Amino acid sequence: MLIDCDIHVTYRSIKELIPYADPHTRELIERSGVAGLSMPTYPWVHPSGWIRRDTYDAEAVEAGSMFPGFTLEQLRAHVLDPFDVVFALANPDEAACFSVLPNSRLAAGLASAYNDWLVDTWLRHEPRLRGALVVPAQWPEAAAAEILRMAPTGAFAAVFLPGAARIPYGNPVYDPIWAAAAEVGVPVAVHVHYEGVGTSGPLTGAGMPDFYTEFHTLNGASLQGHLVSILCHGVFERHPRAKLILMEGGLVGHVGVLWRLDQNWRSTRSEIPWCRRRPSEYVWDHVRFTTQPLEEPDDATQLADVLRPLQPEHTLVYATDYPHWDFDDPDQTLRTLPAEWREPIRFRTAADLFGVAVPAAA
Amino acid sequence: MRTLRFPRSVAPAPGQVRTVESGGRRIGLVWVDGELHGLADACPHRGAPLCSAGMLVHRVESDGERVVRHVPADRLRCPWHKWDFDVRTGICAEAPRMRARRYRVWLEDDEIVVSLAPVRD
Repeated sequence: MLIDCDIHVTYRSIKELIPYADPHTRELIERSGVAGLSMPTYPWVHPSGWIRRDTYDAEAVEAGSMFPGFTLEQLRAHVLDPFDVVFALANPDEAACFSVLPNSRLAAGLASAYNDWLVDTWLRHEPRLRGALVVPAQWPEAAAAEILRMAPTGAFAAVFLPGAARIPYGNPVYDPIWAAAAEVGVPVAVHVHYEGVGTSGPLTGAGMPDFYTEFHTLNGASLQGHLVSILCHGVFERHPRAKLILMEGGLVGHVGVLWRLDQNWRSTRSEIPWCRRRPSEYVWDHVRFTTQPLEEPDDATQLADVLRPLQPEHTLVYATDYPHWDFDDPDQTLRTLPAEWREPIRFRTAADLFGVAVPAAA
Repeated sequence: MRTLRFPRSVAPAPGQVRTVESGGRRIGLVWVDGELHGLADACPHRGAPLCSAGMLVHRVESDGERVVRHVPADRLRCPWHKWDFDVRTGICAEAPRMRARRYRVWLEDDEIVVSLAPVRD
């Protein structure tokens, strides 16, 4: 049994959203530029492909398809069936960048169209799939309205925010998003995505790197920035029912950041008195981390020792990241972690987070 | 010695990989420098279909200034994590402890013969 907290789905062309778009958004999708609306994309390119090469067909690639040949049948054959997946979270791919468009009204229109498209083309066909709701993070009031609009469908299990942002997600301007997510009882999922693209800041304080290798090594820094912001702003004090999942930003880095944050808080707590508890204490109650891409030191036993302060048996949830190139096969990956962590990571902690019924522990 | 036999017509074209299957084994065949090599269709890292979905790629190296793209293409690139394995040795240069399983392969009349005996260097 497995709960997969990170698989990706997308349209082949943004024009697939046209039937679901409001008139203004439709006008911009159809008429913008020369051949219709295009989205900002990464300046860094993976030297041999972002996608698992056994998930697409070459003819479709040449025809310009974005996720060529990627179908629900294929998702079932590669992940849902062989790993006995009982619940999978369908995260966006290109749609993740709506939040870094400068035009917030367009972002809101695209997000609504995407969410309706996702229900219609994927979610209603596969009961094991739930969606991550795309919202315009740059317009929190509209994001909250979208959360409330789609909640009655029951099709969405999380609110999706990309790691790329103008300002970190603890800032009070985002309170409408936290309040709405808490009200409808779904976690906010911040997933590494589009750092350094669109209206977001540079990848790190060092500025813009040159290589994809640098980008993929450092993109988890965005999640650390959001986590520290969320803790320092007391988001979980203002929204005690709020939950957060940090996705695909690595795990080991969070250990050092939390140690350092707790250390600093002892000396600077008069600046952030609303952060009433030691910052890491909020993490154990409110924050979960997806495993992929799991770090791979040469000596695999070192990983467990380094991760132990993160309380992995309570905070880690499994993710494959299918169909991306750094897919983690659950059977192979979990074998590298201590036996007592595997079942909680494989499904129990996520079942508790998403309210999925699973057999009681033996 | 246990062997598998395949018709010579299944041999790959130069620069391509052809995966053959028999008795539950999937083996990728590749020509490099006039020799036919066989590798298991399973990446030693995470079990991905190394040969049937991987790519035959060139070794790209640099002495710090000049970049050289070696000919012929003699590396199999895994379809998942993009690790490269030397077709001749099965070794991943970036992670030498990872070695794809090799098979000794030769031509005999109109057949390709694959030995299932372990290859020892």
